[in-house]
Parts: sequence; C-alpha cells; structure tokens
Amino acid sequence: MAGLKTASGDYIDASWELSVAVEELGPEAEPLTLRVTGDVHIGGIMLQIVDKIKVKQNWSDHALWWEQKKLWLLKTNWTVDKYGLQADARLRYTPQHKPVRLQLPNRRMIRVHASFSEPVFRAVAGICRVLSIRHAEELSLLRAPEEKDKKKRKGPALGTEDEFDLSGVVLPASAEQQPFRGMPAHFSDSPATEACYRMLSVSWTGLTPEHVLKMPRPSNLVEKAQINSRWLSSSRSLMQQDVRENEQLWLRFKYYSFFDLEPKYDAVRITQLYEQARWAVLLEETESTEEEMMVFAALQYHINKLSLSADPTEPAGEQGMDDLDSALSNLQVKLEGGTSTSDMLENLTAIPELNDYLRIFRPRKLTLKGYKQHWVVFKETSISYYKSREEALGEPVQQLNLKGCEVVPDVNISGQKFCIRLLVPSPEGMSEVYLRCEDEQQYARWMAGCRLAAKGRTMADSTYQSEVQNILSFLQLQRASPDAPAAPDAEAMGTQWLVSPRYQKKFKPKQLTPRILEAHQNVAQLSLTEAKMRFIQAWQSLPDFGISYFVVRFKGSRKDEILGIANNRLIRIDLAVGDVVKTWRYSNMRQWNVNWDIRQVAIEFDEHINVAFSSVSAGCNIVHEYIGGYIFLSTRSTDKGRGLDEELFYKLTGGHEAL
Amino acid sequence: MEQTCDDIDEMFSNLLGEMDLLTQSLGVETVQPPSPKESNKEYNFTVGFKDLNESLSALEDNDLDALMADLVADLTEAEQKTLQAQKTSSHYPQSEVTQSSAGVCAASSYGYKSNVPVTTTGRFEDDLPPPPPDPAFDLPLPPPPPEPLTQEELETQAKADKIKLALEKLKEAKIKKLVVKVHMNDNSTKSLMVDERQVARDVLDNLFEKTHCDCNVDWCLYEIYPELQIERFFEDHENVIEILSDWTRDSENKVLFLEKNEKYAVFKNPQNFYVANKGKNEGKEMNEKNKEFLLEESFCGTSVIVPELEGALYLKEDGKKSWKRRYFLLRASGIYYVPKGKTKTSRDLACFIQFENLNIYYGTQYKLKYKAPTDYCFVLKHPQIQKESQYIKYLCCDDQWTLQQWVTGIRIAKYGKTLYDNYKRAVQRASLASGWANLATVKPAVTAGSSLTDITGTVQANGQILQSILPASLEAQKHTEMTKDKKPNDVNGCRSVQPTSQPQTYQNKRASIKPPPPQRRSSAVSSTPLLPVQPKHGSAVFTSDPVTFPPPPPEMAEDLPPPPPDFCEDPPDFVPPPPPTCSSSSEDLLPPPPPPPASVSNKPLPVTKKVVPLPPKRQVNTERTEEPKSMGLPPSGGGSGQPDLMSDLMKALQKKRGNTS
Repeated sequence: MAGLKTASGDYIDASWELSVAVEELGPEAEPLTLRVTGDVHIGGIMLQIVDKIKVKQNWSDHALWWEQKKLWLLKTNWTVDKYGLQADARLRYTPQHKPVRLQLPNRRMIRVHASFSEPVFRAVAGICRVLSIRHAEELSLLRAPEEKDKKKRKGPALGTEDEFDLSGVVLPASAEQQPFRGMPAHFSDSPATEACYRMLSVSWTGLTPEHVLKMPRPSNLVEKAQINSRWLSSSRSLMQQDVRENEQLWLRFKYYSFFDLEPKYDAVRITQLYEQARWAVLLEETESTEEEMMVFAALQYHINKLSLSADPTEPAGEQGMDDLDSALSNLQVKLEGGTSTSDMLENLTAIPELNDYLRIFRPRKLTLKGYKQHWVVFKETSISYYKSREEALGEPVQQLNLKGCEVVPDVNISGQKFCIRLLVPSPEGMSEVYLRCEDEQQYARWMAGCRLAAKGRTMADSTYQSEVQNILSFLQLQRASPDAPAAPDAEAMGTQWLVSPRYQKKFKPKQLTPRILEAHQNVAQLSLTEAKMRFIQAWQSLPDFGISYFVVRFKGSRKDEILGIANNRLIRIDLAVGDVVKTWRYSNMRQWNVNWDIRQVAIEFDEHINVAFSSVSAGCNIVHEYIGGYIFLSTRSTDKGRGLDEELFYKLTGGHEAL
Repeated sequence: MEQTCDDIDEMFSNLLGEMDLLTQSLGVETVQPPSPKESNKEYNFTVGFKDLNESLSALEDNDLDALMADLVADLTEAEQKTLQAQKTSSHYPQSEVTQSSAGVCAASSYGYKSNVPVTTTGRFEDDLPPPPPDPAFDLPLPPPPPEPLTQEELETQAKADKIKLALEKLKEAKIKKLVVKVHMNDNSTKSLMVDERQVARDVLDNLFEKTHCDCNVDWCLYEIYPELQIERFFEDHENVIEILSDWTRDSENKVLFLEKNEKYAVFKNPQNFYVANKGKNEGKEMNEKNKEFLLEESFCGTSVIVPELEGALYLKEDGKKSWKRRYFLLRASGIYYVPKGKTKTSRDLACFIQFENLNIYYGTQYKLKYKAPTDYCFVLKHPQIQKESQYIKYLCCDDQWTLQQWVTGIRIAKYGKTLYDNYKRAVQRASLASGWANLATVKPAVTAGSSLTDITGTVQANGQILQSILPASLEAQKHTEMTKDKKPNDVNGCRSVQPTSQPQTYQNKRASIKPPPPQRRSSAVSSTPLLPVQPKHGSAVFTSDPVTFPPPPPEMAEDLPPPPPDFCEDPPDFVPPPPPTCSSSSEDLLPPPPPPPASVSNKPLPVTKKVVPLPPKRQVNTERTEEPKSMGLPPSGGGSGQPDLMSDLMKALQKKRGNTS
C-alpha cells in the first residue's frame, strides 16, 4: 500500500507493519497486519482493517485499543505518529460498547451494554439513561468482590442471584444505546423488557431471611471501609481499568447527596435508592436503633404489600394526580350546589359507631380486679362504657376521649387474646385502659377505630376500612406461626426478614410482629412511593447515614484511623472505639492536594488548619475522588435546564491521571 | 354604674347582632359567627378558662376596648370582603343587590339592611361629582372596563357566588372562637378573639397590629404553667385553640406575649448548633453565606438534619426526688440513652422517649421545686397533662447552653422543616414591619388609600354605585379603630395623653399624620395622588368628631323612622354645611405639609369634598342609634353606622370610666 518493495521483498520507505487483532475473526485467528506509514491517520487504518476483514456488519462502534498503553485511539484524524504508534504496538479492533453484568442496588443482576471507551462517569450516565435513572452523577460502579470472598460467604446466595439473572439478562433495547429520555419508552418493546422495568421500579417481594443472613455484613468500621476500595475511577474508561467483557460490576449510589427526588420522574431511581437503603439497614451498614428498625420493618412490610399489586407501567406520582383530580371534582361538586351540602351534612351526621360488650380492665395500684364486662360505645373519637346495654341511655361509667392517646396492641393469637392497650391522656396524666375483644374481627374493628381516634379522626374517615384490613392481615401473619410450628422457615417468613439479623436473633417472631404492627399504624396510609420516600428519609436521618469509611493514616500519627467522608464534612474517627475525634466541613475547606508520589492527601482548612493523611484501605485516588465528587455535587444548581459541568467533575476528581 | 354596665352589655349584643345582620344582608362570608354563636361565646367566657371566663361585663375596660377593636377589624374585613365580592359581581344594578340581600334576611331586620345600600346611593351622589373635575384622579386609575356580561352569565355567576357563600357560611357556622387574655410584658393584658383556625402566627400578627411593637422574629406566644413551673413558646404553626383546649377549666396557665431569642436562635446562628465543637459553646462567627448554606443543607434536603447532640443529663426518676445522671443521645427518631455497661453504638441504645404526642417545656426554678442539680431543666410531657404525673419527664442540664441545645434539637427533631418555614415567615413579617416603620403613623392611611384606588378604579369602570359606599364606611371604621387603638394605650399607660383634652390629642395625631404625604407624592407611584386623601380626611373627621360628640343634634330624629327611600335624600341636605368646616379644617391643617405643586394642591379639595358627607352622617347615626335604644328597639336603628355604634360604645365606656373614677 505504501512504500516501495525491493526485490527481496523489503520495503525501503518509511512504512512498517502494524498488527491488529480483531475479535470478530475468532480467538485463534492471526492478527491482521497492515502496512502503514507515520502519517496515516487512524481513520484510514480502520478503513483498511474493515476492508481486509471482509465481514459485512456494522463496524461503526469499533475502535482501536492499544493494549500496552491502555489507550483508545479514538481521534480518527490523528496520525499514527501523533499517537506515537510503533511496530511493536499491539492493537485490538474492538467494539467500544460491551456487555457487562451489573448488580443493581436491589441486588438483582442485569446485563447491559456499557461504554468501555469513555470515562466511567459517562459510561454510568449511559447505563442510567437505559435504566431511566436521573442524576447518574450520584452513582458509580464498583468491582464485584473477589471470587474467594464470594465462595466463602455468599456461596448459597449466588444461586439466587443467577436465578434472577435470567430475568435481568433481557434488555435488548439497551444494546442500541438509544438515549431515551423521560418515560422509558424503550421498555415497552417486549414483555421481557417490561418485566425488566418492573424489576427496576418495583421492589422485590420474594425476600427471605436467608437472603439477609447470607449477605456479607460488615461488623466493624474496617470492614465497612472495604467496600470503598472497589470503586472504579470515574475519569478513566472501563477498558483502561481492566474490566472485561461480561464482567460483573456493581452499580450503586456512591454519593449520598440525592438531588431533586421527584416521584413523577424517578420511579426507578427512588426504587433503587430505597433498595440500597433497605440493604444498608438490613445489613447494618447504616446502624439503627431498635425503634428505628421497627419503623424500617413496618415500611418494608407496607412497601412489599403494595408492591405485590403495583403496576409499574403506572407512572409514579399517579397518586398525587388522583388526589388532585378528586380535589378538583370535589370542588366542582361544591360549586355546583346545594345537593352536595346536604350530602355533606348527612355524612357529617352519619359517623359510624361501634357498640359491643367488651371486657375492660383498668390497672391500678393495689387492685385485685380483673377484666370486667361492659357495654362499650365508640362514638366519634370517644369511648364510653356502661354497666349494661340497658344503661346506655344514662350516664356512662366513664368516657374516654381517645384523641392524642397511645394505642398499643396486646395480642396473643395462640392464647386467643385480643387486647387493646390505651394510654389516654388527661390533665392528671395518662390513664391506662385495656379493652379485650372476643375475636379477630371485633378486635380489628375496634383497633382501627382507636387508631383513627388517636389521630383525631372518626370512623367516618375513608381510611377506616383499609385500616381494618391491615390489622386483619397482620393478624394473619401471626397466625401463621402457631399453625406451622414445625416449619421454622415459614414462621420466619412472616416478619423476620424485615429486620437485620441482629434483631432476628433478639426477638421471637411473636414478639417482633406486634412491634412492627405498632410501628405500621403510623405508615399504613402511605402510598407506595410515599412509603419508599419515607424509608429513604428515615434512612437519611440516621446519624451514620451517608458516611463512607476509609482506613487512613494521618500524618504524624502512628496508628490507623478511620476517615469518614460525608456529603458535607470529613470525620476523623477512632478506629478502635468508633468515636468521632474531629469533624471538618467542606465549607471551611480552602484547598486540597494529592501528592501522588507518596500517595498522600493534604487538605487545608480555614484558620490554617492542615490535615494530611495517606489512605490504607483504598487507593488515594478513590479518597480524592470522593471528596472532589461531593464538592462537585454541591455545585449543582436547582436550575434543571442546566446540564452538568463534566469538565469540572474531572478537574475535581481526576487528579493528574485525568490529564 | 350598673346602668352603664348594662348599657355596654346591651350595646355589645346589639353590635354582635348587627354584625350578624350585616353579614347576612351583604351575603358575604364573614369571620363573625351567626347569632347563635353569641351564646356560644358567652359559654366560653363563663366556662372556658378561669382567666377568660369572666362574663363580658366583668371584663376590664381595656379588654373590652381590645375586643371591640377586634370586632371592628372583623367588620372591616367583612366589608372589604364585601367589596371584593361585589367587585366580582359589580354589574348588578344597585337595586338588584338590595333586593337580593333583602331577600336573604328576615323581615324584622329589613329596615336595617335596606338602609345599607340606600345610604350608599346617597353617598354615591355626593361622592361622584368630585372625581370628574380632578384629572389627577383619572390618570392613575387604570380603568379597564370589564366586559359587559350577558344576563345569563350574570345569573350563573350570581348563583355560583351564592353557593360559595352558603358553603362558606356553613363552614363558618361551626367555627369555634375563644377570647384569649394575653399578658404583655408590662403586666397589662390584652384580650383578643381567636378562632379555631388561627395558628400562633396569626395571633402574633394580630398582636403586632395591636401593640405597635417592632414585629421582630423573636416575638412569641408563651405559655406558662404556674403549677408545674413549666413554660414554652408556641411554635408559629401550632393551632392556638387546640393548645388552649388542653388546659383545665380552673387552670392558672397563662399566655404571654414576649420576645424570646431562643425561639429562632438556630436559624440566626446555625453554626452554634450544627458546627459547634464538642463541649464548647463559643458563639463562633460565620458569614451569612455560609449560614445560609448550612441552613439549606440542614433543612432543605430530602430530610431534615437533626443536630448531633449527646451528653450526660440528669433525669428525675419516676416518683422519686433523686436525679440520676445518664448519657443521652438525640436522634431524629427520639431521645436515647446508653444503658449501663453498654457502648453508645446505635444497636445498644435504649429508647428514652419519642416525640410524638409530646411537647417540650422549660422547667423553671426546679432547684427549689424538685431539688434539681441546676436550674437548667427541660420537661417533656403530653400536651394534655396538666398536673404532676409520672408521665412527665424531667431532665436537667449542666448549663444554659446545653439546655438551649437540647431544647432546640428536640424541636428540630419534632417539627422538622416546619420550623424553618415558620422562621422564614416570621422574617418576612418582620421585614414588612420594618419597611413600614417610617410610615407607621400613616399605616391606616395606606390601606385606606389603596382601597380607595380600587374603589375609584371601579367607579370609573361603572360599578360605582356599590363601591362608593366603601371609602366612607371604611374610613369611618378606621377612625373608630384609631380612637379605639388609642384608648387601650391610654389605659395601659403606654401613652400619657389622656383623652380629657380630646381636641388636642387629635391635633397631635394630625401632626403625626401629616409628614408622610409629601413622601408619597415625591415617590409618584400610580396610587400616590390618592394617598394624601386619608390623612386629611381623617383629620377632618377628627375635628368634626368632637363636635359631634357633645350634643347629639336633635334635628336628625326625623330621619330615623323614614324608610330607605327617604334616606337617599338625606345626605344632600347635609352636604352643604360640612364643606365649610371641613375645608376650613383642611386648610388649617393642610398648610403644614409641604407646599404641593399646583396640580397637587388642586387635589386636596376634591378629596376633602369627598369626605364631607361623612361628618353629617355621623351625626345622623349617632342620633339614630341612641334613639332606638332609648325606645327599646334593638339593633334595627343602627342603619349604616356600625362605626357610629362603636363610637357610641366608646362614649358609653367613657361614661362608665367617668363613673368609676
């Protein structure tokens, strides 16, 4: 092609041979050899290759990869010389997008094409576009844990992952890398993709306690720091970081600074975020107290229940629209006239009441009396009880206004005990009253009434019936245990998996269920999206939330310590005790540098406070990127129209490697 | 003495009745409850709370004053609403309105009701002439004549309006109101009407208007339980009636109106709570931008960040006198403590208390009361608990700053972003007030001025007939309000000037009123030309007022019986006399304000003319209201003159005061 050939077959000009491996020709195929000169541009070489291969296919995604230098030759107008290519260069002609197996925050596997040639930051953006997750800058990729790690601890769980992999593999649309925005139209291509969207946007309900038990759980700060060593660098491409085709990677929310969560657009994002939060709670990556755990459990229970019937194709936020619609129609009715007012009056007057013989017990000091039968009338938010039904016209023995009271279930199904414990506030203090019901049905009706009344609502409230159903279904959960005492698994199925293993051990199911039920009453009326948001918010309010740990060695210190990186501050933590030693806020930060030679991060704060440390548990580029990333995220503006300043991100996170 | 008391009572009930009628007749939503409410109110007085349960007659004078100011404000509000409502339906010929309103009300009150619109016409005739000659008037008024509506449209609109009103009224009818006695920091008290929809912020705003304080964000309603020695400020979003209904009937609890820096300290210096170094309470400085950033970060995210707070506190053991020191931690989900032998990791923490159904209070002088280690105590209890009980939790901090941190932290955990929203609203209110500070003296003028613009605007458009009543009646009320405002102050000793030398006081007032107009003129806002009106107008009235008061001119007696039609004729008769006095007064009074340019000097005249009708009317009305009373006819005589009734009330009050002194 270029140059002159001598009689001996040598070339006498400046041309030389370049060998290029092409995967499409098969693994055993010899690399192609091309004759090139220094001034041939890369585009020309690629043309030559395609000509030589003589395989008809779309080559547009292919590009040249220089293996020794770990470099993509993407600038097709650059010449060979400009790239500094020599004859010894091993080049591969390979697609820029390759499939990877991603483990999503909900621990499901998905196969997706990712860009191997662009920086990970962009590759993630591409993946998120396919998954319809907004604000991809908050997510990133991690390497999956080492194989031996998995064998040791996750072996059995692996099976389940593979099982779900089947459903996850299907995302053909993703291969096309179409930048769909807004509603994920690309999911509606086939039933398979629709199923995939369901997987993404509806949380998985088939969880068992084993899943939780078999997941690796970090037991201390050092273990919590482990995960952070696996983050891929955002400013380099997957290929450059030796990620192989079909390799398993984790997609996770990396920066705990969630911008503009909007149920209307963020069905997948919120679900995945909820899942990540749920796992963080269940695996105690973010520690919570017993009371908080019960709230989390109740929310999970609620979300699960709603998810079973959830239709993912319904856009989230539908609920809100419904509300608006009904409000509007309400308004219309109101404006249209008198009939509605009379209805309204009827409704007002027709507040359902409950009347029954119940046994009542008022614990007092030095009392020997037990439960005593009374005729009890539950009207609006008050309970009145009489000696008998006949006396109901006269003065009640006592009347209790339940507004603001505390309602606690005291139920033992095997013992057929259905009690409601009321702590009724009065000027003198709280008075304790037990109502004992005969059966589940009666209990559910009264319990639901009490709960509404405690919130100042009557049984006329639209939520009354669903509350009754809730209570019944919860009782059902508990009933499962006495029925199948021989099958501890089934028993555990009930509620055990809703809490972290620590609390699974601490409580027996029959202790746990009432507590979750108690917490559930506060969340029972939330819609699916609201419940997820509530979970995320509760997670965010945990003191440990959003702190990424690294084992570091501070300059001048002789022992390892923990550095916590949060979205607004750096925290120095004593490794042994876990106490916070010192906190620095980014807002006081003047500048920070990385000395790449000694792998040390040095930060200067206001008032000439200087901090320097080297990272022990992870590369110092990861620490650097974490800090820079948070600072970058804080620059995001509320102006939605504005895109991200990607350059700034690389500048803040990339260090010298980016340049 | 008894006599006067009765008078007052009677007048009061008359007043209520009248307002009721007015409400009905105008067919507009009002804050006033219908008459059955009145008994209800009395119930509240007598049965509600010990300090509130004095019957009306037992109320102190200044209370009564304050109440009346309230009522007047309500009236004004009602009228303003009427104005708006009428504006929407401004195309009705006047007669139609009269009819429709008359249709709504009972026959007995017919006379009174029909009076209203009728006087309107009279007024209108008087008022209308002035505008045309005055070009300045026409110019600033943006007169976009509303598209004339078809008859059907009118009807449907009217129907819709009526339905709306009916619905509103239905709602109104159920509204509970309480008269709340608020203690001021000068040991005086003010009574004000609080309805059950009002949150603390509304009541504060109300008090701001009554007290002329600086309206800064630290003002709060503060409840004190003398029995438990606890106190706390109401959060601005809390429903006042709800809180008060937790008090027992014989409660000695009090509501105070005072400034508490603690209320919003966290928003003024968030760094002290969020960035504070452990164990140090130094008030570190932070620049405003960082503060804002910090607040945004803490309060505007998906979830509110509760300040990190932990430390040893003393806990009063249930039912014992001893205080035990424990290590507590604050989390968003509640207060926790570290059980013996455990670490403070999340999983080991034991829950001490969660914030649902709990309020936080300061405990005062607990060293003495409960032998607390220090006096820096806080208390957590269910709002309904009013007596000592094992369900009340007492905690004691080492120092003031720790106390402050805990109380603030708990409030943030409990109320979340609401707290920040409250603060922003308070700031807004405060800046509004400071913006008005230099205009404070003319405040009433401002509102009146703006309403005047509206009115004249519509006059231009064509709805004149109805609207024209408003300037007059509005202003009339303003006067009464002003007089009212003054008196309570006098009584409270806030102002030394006593109404004994009334003219003089008014003179003072006038003087104080004058300065602003020039400002306005120079600012040359579209509404400016109108603004001077009010002060002058007010002064004119004031001058005429004293005249009116002493001898109720008997001539007017004839006017009382005459049914509506006569009424329209009345005003013209009176028009002639007032102008001289008014113009003279305005001339006397006007000179002081800066010499306005020719065009401006032109203006005052029409303006004063416009005002003219008022004084005579007052006379008429004062006459009238007194007449019927002596004749034993209840409220029907009031005619168009709520304000006059008010001034009568004032007179009666003065009389009463005179008697007592």
